[in-house]
Amino acid sequence: MTAPMPVVTQEIALSADDLKTRDELEKSWAYPRGFVGWLKNTSHLSVGKRYIITALVFFILGGLEAGLMRLQLSRPENAWIGPDLYNQIFTMHGTTMMFLFAVPVMTAVGLYLVPLMIGTRNVFAPRLNLFGYFTYLIGGAFLYVAFFVNNGPDAGWSAYTPLSGPGFSPGKRVDVWAQTITFTEIAALSAAVIIIVTVFKQRAPGMSLNRIPLFVWAMLVTAFMIVFSMPWVATGSQMLAADRLIDTHFFNAAEGGDALLWQHLFWFFGHPEVYIIFIPALGMVSAIVETFTGRPIFAYPVMVLSLITTGFMGFGLWVHHMFATPIPQLGQSFFTAASSIIAIPTGVQIFCWIATIWAGKPRFTTPLLFIIGFIITFVIGGVTGVMIASVPFDLQAHDTYFIVAHLHYVLIGGGLFPLFGAFYYWFPKFTGRMMSERLGKVNFWLFFIGVHVTFFPMHILGLEGMTRRIYTYLPETGWGPLNMVSSAGAVIIVLSVALFLFNAITSWRRGAPAGDNPWGAASLEWATESPPPPYVFLHVPVCTSEHPLWDETDKRPVVTGLRTDIRENLYTTMMDAEPDHRHDSPEPNIWPFIAALATGVMFITAIFTAWGLVIGIILLFFPCVKWGWPVRAEQEKRLSGERDPLALAGR
Amino acid sequence: MKTYEKVVDVTETPTVVFGRRASTWMGTTAFIAIEGTTLVICIMTYLYVRKNFHRWPPPPLVVPDLIRPTISALFLALTTIPNYWLHQKVRKLDKRGTQIGLLVMSILVAIAVWLRAYDFRDLNAHWDTNAYGSAAWITVAFHSTLLALEALETWVFTALFWFGPLEGKHFSDADDNCAYWYFMAIAWLPMYALIFWVPRLV
Repeated sequence: MTAPMPVVTQEIALSADDLKTRDELEKSWAYPRGFVGWLKNTSHLSVGKRYIITALVFFILGGLEAGLMRLQLSRPENAWIGPDLYNQIFTMHGTTMMFLFAVPVMTAVGLYLVPLMIGTRNVFAPRLNLFGYFTYLIGGAFLYVAFFVNNGPDAGWSAYTPLSGPGFSPGKRVDVWAQTITFTEIAALSAAVIIIVTVFKQRAPGMSLNRIPLFVWAMLVTAFMIVFSMPWVATGSQMLAADRLIDTHFFNAAEGGDALLWQHLFWFFGHPEVYIIFIPALGMVSAIVETFTGRPIFAYPVMVLSLITTGFMGFGLWVHHMFATPIPQLGQSFFTAASSIIAIPTGVQIFCWIATIWAGKPRFTTPLLFIIGFIITFVIGGVTGVMIASVPFDLQAHDTYFIVAHLHYVLIGGGLFPLFGAFYYWFPKFTGRMMSERLGKVNFWLFFIGVHVTFFPMHILGLEGMTRRIYTYLPETGWGPLNMVSSAGAVIIVLSVALFLFNAITSWRRGAPAGDNPWGAASLEWATESPPPPYVFLHVPVCTSEHPLWDETDKRPVVTGLRTDIRENLYTTMMDAEPDHRHDSPEPNIWPFIAALATGVMFITAIFTAWGLVIGIILLFFPCVKWGWPVRAEQEKRLSGERDPLALAGR
Repeated sequence: MKTYEKVVDVTETPTVVFGRRASTWMGTTAFIAIEGTTLVICIMTYLYVRKNFHRWPPPPLVVPDLIRPTISALFLALTTIPNYWLHQKVRKLDKRGTQIGLLVMSILVAIAVWLRAYDFRDLNAHWDTNAYGSAAWITVAFHSTLLALEALETWVFTALFWFGPLEGKHFSDADDNCAYWYFMAIAWLPMYALIFWVPRLV
């Protein structure tokens, strides 16, 4: 009998043992088939990918809304869109971009990449991950169904009371907003818990805290920020819904409530949210800069400390959104100082990236171009941020287009540029194919020019007194020409995004094969096939340095002893990532999807009657029990390999 | 061409661990952080709207009753003792002790939920009376929702340990359930003090 032929992947020669392991893993980690299988699939690769695609669909919808607004504002006294629809469109744009695109896409990239980067096969609580995705999908779909039947929210993405209260916003539009928020917060909180536990407990042996890739650090800090910030808006939006449905008085000044309470609840979440979008982007920047300069990032410990500092300080700034309200002077001074100081850790990181590029051998591929675009655009947004941290200036600029310019410079500069870069960078890993560099570079330049042409004039419009959220303006204001320039810029952005989509779709189908590690990167996500198989790693890797793939010899160190006949993950200690125990990874299961449906019924019914919550809890009970109740056939397999600590101790 | 080198063997590592070694414990802790934040938000809301009233509770409302809520809070606090006993049995992988402990706790959590229902009545205010009523109600209601959900979970665990197909990892899950119950019982004490005592003191 002859031994099987060794199979060679891109980089690794597989022995007969490896092939046997692969066959077993292919069976135990196989994706369930068909549409129902898709509803059940708990793989972080599948969930992460669909999360990203869904978020991109919402990005396109939010972008189309922005396009409509720019069309309307391109000339004075434009009567194309009326005030009522315009109110809905700008609310939908803000809500979509913040709640349905920016936060979900960042957590989604994290959910896909974190397990790969830390060397594990699936996230902690993969069924919760699936539940989170469907909750998010249902919430987003619900918002758009409401919008298409003329019930889109119309009180702004921040839904300030008393405008959003029952007195000034009768009907169900604001309720739709409040419940959409609750849906998305559940998804974000689920993702945050998953990321925290996965990073702390499932890192590859040897990946001590000082070897964690900066993107993973960024996701960890982000996850903690989500945990402590999202409950504020989730609770606030429930209070708002209660004020509207069951006549509570949280925000009703006539009965001792307080409209400003809403602003505190909203911004205590809302300001950290900016960092929830921005910090993952910082991690993406670090990953890209390191790979395309071919050298370790300059001052890694300082970078980590900067991320953590930014995370903490992000909670101390929320009142700067409220400078135009009666805040005590001491409070104004404190929040002015805090808002200026937070520029320091970000500034430190920017200097570290510049130093890395300076000292390395930069390859100016599309991902790195987007990072250069990020540095330029974000620094401008950061500087205007320091300007409006000053109360006297803020009082002048408050609610004007200067703020619109600032927030778009920060969010597009700080979020979208790195995200586009990340997309080009990790696309080969997601799909196994390269995106076109030529189209990528055109995409970058169109986007860079489009963003500045669109948003820079808004600074001037704001200083000239153009207020935000107006559906038209008079010719005598003189704002027409700059608005026309801004709208022309929006057309360039649309072209660039269309080109990006074209590039992504055609490359997914016909791009050049990527191989395991097409960019010559250092971190573990490149230590497996592209796209990764359902079991992610044939053998769980062992991390031997901060840059495991750069420091690797002709042997790739891996773990042995994990079961291959069932889905099993290795858990390691929190600080030093020493092997600690094994635990099964839950099998695919339909009940998280059913539970998400029940959650949908609960929140949507709760718009019309408070009994919706009771109905929801009843509907949720059975799916939640089934979600975790052991299946005998699966269990028998697991029991055969169980090793409890007391049994090991001889009992 | 590279090859794999098996340098770490994990065959002998356990499959059942407790406390902070367990990923589920860490997940439970993260959810405690989220739910604890929610309870803090309720408390802050209560204190925030306080500044809008000269008297607390605003007339003609009267202060909340004390007797039944105090019994309820003490009862909840005392359930931590049998919960501690259960916790020890769980950690020793003592199936019979865990079954009995869970059965006892199932009854106790049912009583805790039943007693809590009276707390709403003893507030002497409705959610729609004014902001005081709204804030007091939501504070009790959020904790009560978590209490009811935890009661359901305890009943499910009891059913699993008595009737279900059991694995070692379920002891670890029961361990987390005990940890969560400490949070439920102890978190209520400052909330009880705020809602039922502060209106008498200020």
